[in-house]
Amino acid sequence: MYFDWTAEELALKQSVAALLTQDAATELGLLDEAELWQLKRITSRYLKALSGLGYLEIALGPAERGQLMRLIAGQEELAKASGSLFLATETTARIFGGLLAGFGDRSRIGDILEAVTHGEVIAGVAVTESEEDAAEPGLTTAGVRDGKEWVVSGRKDYVTNAPIADWIAVVGIAEGRPAAFLVEPPQAGATVGPRMRTLGFNGLAVARLELDSVRVPNDLVIGPFADEAALEYLGAMQDLILALAAVGLQFRTTAEAKRHALTHRRDGKDVFRYQEVRFKLAEMLTWAQTSQLLTFRAAWLYATGDPEARTVIHCAKVFCAEGAEQVTSMGMQVLAGRGYLSGNPVEQAYRDAKLTGIAGTTSERARMAIAGDLLKRYQV
Amino acid sequence: MDFSLTEEQLMFKEQVIKFARKEIVPRVQEHDLRSEFDFESWRKLGEFGLLGLHFPEELGGGGSDVMTAVVASEALGEAGVDGGLTLSLGAHTYLCADTIFAHGTDEQRKRYIPKLASGEWIGCMGLTEPGAGSDVASLRTRAMRQGDSWVLNGTKMFITNGPIADVAVVYARTGQSAAGQEGISAFIVEKGTPGFAVGRKLVKMGVRTSPTSELIFEDCVIPVENLLGQEGAGFFMAMRTVEWDRSALLAPFVGGLGYIIERCCRYAQERHQFGRPIASFQAIRHKIADVKICQEAARSLIYRIAWCKDQGRPLNHLEAAVAKLFVGDWSLKPMNDAMVLFGGYGYCHEYDVERIFRDSRIAPIGGGTSDIQKVLISRLM
Ligand SMILES: Cc1cc2nc3c(=O)[nH]c(=O)nc-3n(C[C@H](O)[C@H](O)[C@H](O)COP(=O)(O)OP(=O)(O)OC[C@H]3O[C@@H](n4cnc5c(N)ncnc54)[C@H](O)[C@@H]3O)c2cc1C
Repeated sequence: MYFDWTAEELALKQSVAALLTQDAATELGLLDEAELWQLKRITSRYLKALSGLGYLEIALGPAERGQLMRLIAGQEELAKASGSLFLATETTARIFGGLLAGFGDRSRIGDILEAVTHGEVIAGVAVTESEEDAAEPGLTTAGVRDGKEWVVSGRKDYVTNAPIADWIAVVGIAEGRPAAFLVEPPQAGATVGPRMRTLGFNGLAVARLELDSVRVPNDLVIGPFADEAALEYLGAMQDLILALAAVGLQFRTTAEAKRHALTHRRDGKDVFRYQEVRFKLAEMLTWAQTSQLLTFRAAWLYATGDPEARTVIHCAKVFCAEGAEQVTSMGMQVLAGRGYLSGNPVEQAYRDAKLTGIAGTTSERARMAIAGDLLKRYQV
Repeated sequence: MDFSLTEEQLMFKEQVIKFARKEIVPRVQEHDLRSEFDFESWRKLGEFGLLGLHFPEELGGGGSDVMTAVVASEALGEAGVDGGLTLSLGAHTYLCADTIFAHGTDEQRKRYIPKLASGEWIGCMGLTEPGAGSDVASLRTRAMRQGDSWVLNGTKMFITNGPIADVAVVYARTGQSAAGQEGISAFIVEKGTPGFAVGRKLVKMGVRTSPTSELIFEDCVIPVENLLGQEGAGFFMAMRTVEWDRSALLAPFVGGLGYIIERCCRYAQERHQFGRPIASFQAIRHKIADVKICQEAARSLIYRIAWCKDQGRPLNHLEAAVAKLFVGDWSLKPMNDAMVLFGGYGYCHEYDVERIFRDSRIAPIGGGTSDIQKVLISRLM
């Protein structure tokens, strides 16, 4: 066992932290209010800076998951600084880039991956669909082969980064099996819907994607996948990333609430001196530290290929997401009126927290998966 | 970072689980219902080496590191050993024997550790008093130096193993001050010492196989060489046990969550309602998942304390308080839900979930309440 960062892990952690100076924090705080063009500009600039640290090329794809602990040291710093930038970055690098690195074997895909690791593109992965107009559960987006191309049609909901993306990997069915089609909006037939208005993570651009007979050349198709590995990889990484985002929200809120409690006075003393306030802060820190350690361990299990990794990632996802809701709610209570004013970090975190239990594997589905794994293990 | 246990630790954990399932668990229910200490299981724990794992071999211990000791404690919980026996073990090995080992003279170590490590003698630790619980530095038991002796007067409260202990580590005030951390010293008191009596045995909600009582000192005369460590350093010595309290003493609770998971999974598949196993209901599955989430979250917190101790790092009091608060408070709801999963049977003694539920209620109280952990965390954060 080794509960500390190794020198290599620490180096990345420190270099990411150094990037996120006070000026950066101010700028990232404004992401929530930014127009799309500003969002694209700021996100691109940080991707470029992160690529300079090698951050965007670590742990891409299942074969490289052994590097996860080094990555996570840096990820945590970014998640603490800005949840929106963190999710935009990770969607580009680990989700999109990871899919390309782990499962794409054609040379054009290699070129796109290089652009990802150099921080030259913003990308998204489109998986979720509405089941409302589907005859049965499962993906309805599909590609039909036409010579050296595929003709792809379908509709995707909630595509992170879509409004500012250079590339989107669209997961759909190809000859009966799942595959990912790389689409370059605004390519003919690919329509990115208006940016969705959301409760939180307002510095993240999310939209629907409509595909109407979009022609995707064969060398921009990943798959069709022979097994579930690619989708499992995407699921695991997404849940880990969201757990980390939730950890970031918890630490940020706790720090902000503590700062407020030490400086804000009521009835002649700073409110930190009220036991109710102090105890809330203690609970918040307990959530945060426990969430952090659980996520680290889940990532480590995944990095080492432990058979229980997926179960523990689900545990971390549920725990951190619910912790984020609790912590931000307590933080808001500590800041009271000031916390309720729009535009302060705790109000922002309070709104952001909700997504961490909804995106990726929802808390309900994660619990079902955890119990399913356990019931299988202790079958009677 | 690296969260792996060594091959030896993993193997040892399996061995402890196997041993406990065979030799101890079958006897748990009977002793719990009678609120009786299980001397037979105690003897077996001693024979297996679990009462002194981390002491050097020349003193009758197993020479293990802290992590192995913690893993063994977790294994006992996971096997289904009751919280009473593991609490008795914790008070004996870590609060009593280890304090003698850590601060005692060679003579004291040689006299006590082999007998405590084998289980021939049972140890206890007396710190809490009727008027000094959370504010333990206000303890009033007094030790007066008279020639070659110390004379103890006072009463200790809630002392685990009190009624059965052969040897007690007792904290008393030796300095001039009437309260505060200064001027507290530790003493070794053996059973049968004139003036030392066991008070009433306390009837408890849970951890029933661990006998708890008052210890009464009335002009109890002990030889001067029974002073443990430096005079006046007692408070520091008591606080040093926190490292064990937040690792080895919490570990059985974490292991116990694993035991509960297995019990819930099996019961949920066997029990049918509305024509199908209750495991097919989402709400049941969510309850099972919550126990697992709690266990996974708790585990690394206690391992971290053990790891730091093995590394020779000073205890991080903030992390220790976080671990204690988490295990104590966060485990209550999943434990409660697990009992509800068993329906009416869960409320009856026949199924051990109700006992585990009762046992788990001590976690947010003993060794410093959850409130006190919050006091510490907010002070240190
Ligand atoms: C089964 C059992 C075994 C035990 N074994 C031992 C043993 O072997 N040796 C030993 O020495 N002791 C032992 N104890 C004692 C245990 O450590 C104490 O019970 C514990 O520290 C709490 O003290 P108290 O019971 O006096 O509660 P009190 O200190 O009276 O606390 C009462 C309530 O007030 C709250 N409170 C107190 N101070 C504050 C504050 N500053 N801020 C907010 N809230 C506060 C507490 O959280 C609690 O809710 C044992 C107890 C039990 C029940």
